[in-house]
Amino acid sequence: MPKTRVGVFVCHCGNNIGGVVRVPEVVEYARTLPNVACVEDNLYTCSEEGLSSIREQIAEHGLNRVVVASCTPRTHEPLFREACEQAGLNKYLFEFVNIREHCSWVHMHDPAMATQKAKELVRMGVAKARFLEPQEEFESSVFPAALVIGGGVAGMTAALGLANQGIQVHLVERDQELGGLIREVRTLFPAGQATEEVLQPLAEQVRNHRQITVHLGSEVEDVGGFIGDFDVAVKADGQVNNLKVGAVIVATGAEELKPTGLYRYSELGNVVTQLEFEERFKRGADVPRDVVIINCVGARIPERTYCGRFCCTTAIKNAIWIKEREPEASVFVLHRDVMAYGVQIEESYRRAMELGVRFLRYDPENPPQILGDGRAEAVRVQHQLMGKEIVLPAELVVLTTPLVARDDNPRLSKMLKVPLGGEGFFLEAHLKLRPIEFSTDGVYVCGSARYPANIPESVSQAYASAAKASIPIREGVVRAEAITALCDERTCSACGNCVEVCPFGAVELQEGRFGRTAQVNPAQCKGCGCCVAACPSGAMQQSGFNDRQLLSMIGALAEEMTGGVGE
Amino acid sequence: MASESSDEGGNGYEPKILVFACNWCSYAGADLAGVSRLQMPANCRIIRVMCSGRVRPEFVVTALSKGLDGVLVLGCHPGECHYSEGNYFTRRRGLLLKNLLQFVGIEPERFQVRWVSASEGAKFADTVEQVTEQIRALGPNRPQGGMHSTEPGDR
Amino acid sequence: MEDKLQELVVELLGDGAMEYFIGYRQGFEPSHVVPCFVTDKSEADRLIWGPLCLQNLSKYVLQARDLDGKVGLLVKGCDARAIVELVKQHQIERDKIVVVGVPCEGQVDPRKMEQVLGVSMEQVTDVEDAGDEFLVKVGGEVSKLGKEQVLRDKCFYCKHPTSFDYDYTLGEVQPFTIDSESEEYDAVEKLEELPLEERRAYWLKQFERCIRCNACREVCYGCYCKECIFDRTDPRWLDRTPLPRENEIYHLIRAVHLAGRCIDCGECERVCPVNIPLGRLYKKLQKDIAELFDYEAGMEYDTVPPLVDFELDDQDPFL
Repeated sequence: MPKTRVGVFVCHCGNNIGGVVRVPEVVEYARTLPNVACVEDNLYTCSEEGLSSIREQIAEHGLNRVVVASCTPRTHEPLFREACEQAGLNKYLFEFVNIREHCSWVHMHDPAMATQKAKELVRMGVAKARFLEPQEEFESSVFPAALVIGGGVAGMTAALGLANQGIQVHLVERDQELGGLIREVRTLFPAGQATEEVLQPLAEQVRNHRQITVHLGSEVEDVGGFIGDFDVAVKADGQVNNLKVGAVIVATGAEELKPTGLYRYSELGNVVTQLEFEERFKRGADVPRDVVIINCVGARIPERTYCGRFCCTTAIKNAIWIKEREPEASVFVLHRDVMAYGVQIEESYRRAMELGVRFLRYDPENPPQILGDGRAEAVRVQHQLMGKEIVLPAELVVLTTPLVARDDNPRLSKMLKVPLGGEGFFLEAHLKLRPIEFSTDGVYVCGSARYPANIPESVSQAYASAAKASIPIREGVVRAEAITALCDERTCSACGNCVEVCPFGAVELQEGRFGRTAQVNPAQCKGCGCCVAACPSGAMQQSGFNDRQLLSMIGALAEEMTGGVGE
Repeated sequence: MASESSDEGGNGYEPKILVFACNWCSYAGADLAGVSRLQMPANCRIIRVMCSGRVRPEFVVTALSKGLDGVLVLGCHPGECHYSEGNYFTRRRGLLLKNLLQFVGIEPERFQVRWVSASEGAKFADTVEQVTEQIRALGPNRPQGGMHSTEPGDR
Repeated sequence: MEDKLQELVVELLGDGAMEYFIGYRQGFEPSHVVPCFVTDKSEADRLIWGPLCLQNLSKYVLQARDLDGKVGLLVKGCDARAIVELVKQHQIERDKIVVVGVPCEGQVDPRKMEQVLGVSMEQVTDVEDAGDEFLVKVGGEVSKLGKEQVLRDKCFYCKHPTSFDYDYTLGEVQPFTIDSESEEYDAVEKLEELPLEERRAYWLKQFERCIRCNACREVCYGCYCKECIFDRTDPRWLDRTPLPRENEIYHLIRAVHLAGRCIDCGECERVCPVNIPLGRLYKKLQKDIAELFDYEAGMEYDTVPPLVDFELDDQDPFL
């Protein structure tokens, strides 16, 4: 092996670093460190001048490790890595030392301490750099097809989004018909148009699309593999059909809460949920004259803390529907707060009130009571403004309940190795920045599977997930940063700790040359290193963050204390 | 505590603290503190790891035994881990290790775990400040074998 | 009991139900019991059972990995937990082992007995279990010792006197009483109550004595790593030569590795030549793991070890 030759480049960053840290002192210090072959300071290492200097020094001094002490790897690492690569040095032989954000900028009034700290950070960086190893990025091909689970509005839209780009799509729907939950809905907010008018053309497009295979009456039985190469078993009528896809979109939706035990639901025939109400009148029942709608049933309570988001909208929509058909009807909406956000909903709220729908606020501590024997006849509620109880006649009581996560979400979550949140909905990778992705690559989510979403939200999420899923498929390959875990099979004793901790299912115990040992699939590994920390023997390691590298940094930091070089 | 009876403590004593920060939240939080020019004591040295779940307890034990005055592990808030679960392992490990170290008589301040998100530059600065002052108050770490921090000015 | 054991072993060896059997036999002196590997029916009569059968034999089953057949093993209730862990940690298939459960009415701590008797164990020619007490023979004289005087610490709070997952059992435990108030975590709690500096002094004194003979590691069922992290050269966690100042690293890292694995068999402490109370270190972790994560090692096959598992609502003092 050639001798380790480290080049250290200390950046002044104009005055940003040099104004506090005594850069020349750091440079002189760096020259004394083991294996350092060349040190220089640059006004701006990231400038073309700085970068070409890195390239030149690599050539001139035969550098095989490069350390830049400047700003943060989170913004500048790719740039310096590229410079190394241009000079023929594997980019993983580069190490970053942060002496700006973590030093000069935060110790502006203490140049002596800042300089001391910068020296030690450089010492730690050089210590790690000495043990860096060249890495190959793992590249794997992506099978040009996608699986969409769920044939509701979200799933159908996502399928079309992919198929219209020429990508083969398998759409798996559990029911015998496409459409999902909103098939049960009579009319859609806000225009009151019939659901069929929206649903039919969409389903038609999906059914007739050359690139889409619709699997009705089918369920996903098993999913193996990883981004680019998922093996999916789809079961229909006891028959298992095996599919290969490169990406998966979860669009399984949610279901309406059936509030058994609340407001005598399921005991009294004329106490129904909003969906049941819609279904009833879809079938042409007479419009009732006295209706009491109770909102927030089973929502925003200790057992289910979330807001259903569009239940208020549904209540307003249905209240208007009744009033428009039966202006003489008495319609009360008992609510905790009316969440009529945005433009259209607020307008409808106003219109409902103009039509004579009465909105009364109830106290969750003292909720409305259903009166009647054998059927609901009236609802008693404490009128908060009048400060007394009133009794509202009720021919029909409609309970507004939130959507809840589907029962089989845990099963799907295990299969796909993606997490669920506390309420049982699928949990996205990042609430704000990655709202329709999972941290497991190649798996995406849209619609109410994530949390209750209305149609426009489902559609835009479906577009987004289709766009995201199409990236790896169209690229044809996925490349992972070479910071993945690697098991030394000779010393692995297969205790299985790594398998347990891996959030991505990337580690498995397998029979190999050295018996049963842990093996990492680099295509699935995301490089968190949790398995390394859990491995008692040190057989599991992470490229770029292995024990030797990190321990050498600790040793370098503790140098004066132990009187010796760590490692 | 050691410093009270120690001639090495006193005014010039500067503790040396090792910080592990996860790339996605805490390291970014530290960057933000820098971008915001939040001033803080210069006693912490960060080792960047991809996830706080990478920090094996052996690192903490070794660092303290080699005489570093404190170890601070920073990760994303639970539920916000870039790898979705890594910091939950950090949390369990941290709880147990803290108790174990305390059980063998190591001051609990010398090993701490905190959650710092990418947007919490100020929390990062506060944490560094607090931890540094706590450890400064303890005085030099004296691991087995009597190693200790160097005298000020001796570096 | 011994007859029953010997008969069973003869039968199992004869059937070919196992390739060999691991039990106990008398060593070079009566009070010294050693592990015994019976490969042939004719050797079964060497097998013994009694209050001096101290070793946790579980670690030996790992040898069965390379056999086509099975290995039989005499298992006390406490040691049965090691079997569970070994199976759980993928070290051995349960169906490779024939577990012969033995009802245990308490094991003698030789160090305690020496202290109580005032003579060395070499002079003890027999120890017999007699319900609430042991009958101890020294130089032809038989004396009675109450169990509370000489039992191993772990026997005071024994939860499983008989193996709870056995293929064969040698019978039921006869109830006995120990005249003692001692609780499982007494020793740990006593240390916890000390001021920090005193605890520091206590442990440093213990660690300083360590000669790093590795006996604690070698005897531990849980130390089955093919290559111990301390034996690695890349990286080297400890100096090439055992430096006393690194003893603490050694013991703390070992404790961390055994957190959630240690089943309190007490072997480490038993074999330590300088009497470091290692059990207290591991016991502390067990106590915390039970309190914080509601987990006890070696009790169930299908639970996830506590440090590679989590709950969303685990205690969180780190906010």
